[in-house]
Amino acid sequence: MLARVVRIAVVVALLGLVVTLALAFRRDPHDIKTGTIGKPAPAFTLQRLDGSGEVALADLSGKVVVVNFFASWCLPCTQENPALVRVYERYRGSDVVLLGVNLQESRENGLAYVKRMGMSWATLADDDGRVVLSYGVFGPPETFFIGPDGVIAGRHIGPIDEATLIAGIETLRARATR
Amino acid sequence: MNGRILVAIALLVLAAALVFAARPHEATADERIDQITTELRCPVCQGLSVKDSSSETARQMRDLVAQRVREGKTNAEIEAEFRASYGDWIFLSPPLASWSGLIWLVPIVAVAAGLVLMTGRLRGAGNLQPVEPSATQVAALRDRVAREEAAEG
Repeated sequence: MLARVVRIAVVVALLGLVVTLALAFRRDPHDIKTGTIGKPAPAFTLQRLDGSGEVALADLSGKVVVVNFFASWCLPCTQENPALVRVYERYRGSDVVLLGVNLQESRENGLAYVKRMGMSWATLADDDGRVVLSYGVFGPPETFFIGPDGVIAGRHIGPIDEATLIAGIETLRARATR
Repeated sequence: MNGRILVAIALLVLAAALVFAARPHEATADERIDQITTELRCPVCQGLSVKDSSSETARQMRDLVAQRVREGKTNAEIEAEFRASYGDWIFLSPPLASWSGLIWLVPIVAVAAGLVLMTGRLRGAGNLQPVEPSATQVAALRDRVAREEAAEG
């Protein structure tokens, strides 16, 4: 009797493992739920790469903020850049703000990349990596969607495309007007 | 007699040395940094701790830990800061008090299941009752014995 119960328990445990693995493999690897999702975006004040002043996240309260972490040495960043350029032009002058946070390289290299790639939005220098660590960034490129309430609504790990960017922004805009 | 006293003294000295070595002492700042960065996972590496990684990200994490130690933050507070950003994933060993901590139960459950199975089998073997042969079997056996005795003469 006891052995039968144990056999059933082992079968149930194996089934549980299979279901868990099946669910885990169905998840989008770009959609990683880490500590920052659904929480207030960590505050930061960073200098612009071109040295023309600072940008504070707190000053952008009430707007949809898209924070994109990038570096010139990151090939996927180069791949996703045309989508960022198009989305920036689409929402230019609206309630949507695009910020680029440059990481792990000299400001000269970062600025040269920004000019070469036609990035007209505010690009900031995270010299000591504190903003990268406070957002739980694994590596560039990563993109965070922050709502007008200052809460991180979503993140995308890896190169992002235009449709995903627009979908993320429009979800937050719709939420704001509700 | 003298030999026994010498052995006793040697054992006492050894025990005292062990107690002295294992005494609780306040960790230095460097020891605390090492301790914390050994537990933290380097986000851009494959299974390496922040302490063991030479990546830029790990260097920045070590700097942050060192700064927080200098600021007087406790180990728990520093670890909580990294957990807030990266979740429990940032720890090389999953914390016990979390869903991922359930992984620690797997070997215990496996050993317990094995013990239960083994006990069940052993009990089953002990409970085996001798089966009485049927009348036909007894008759066949008697016939065979009789034939063999006859053959031997």
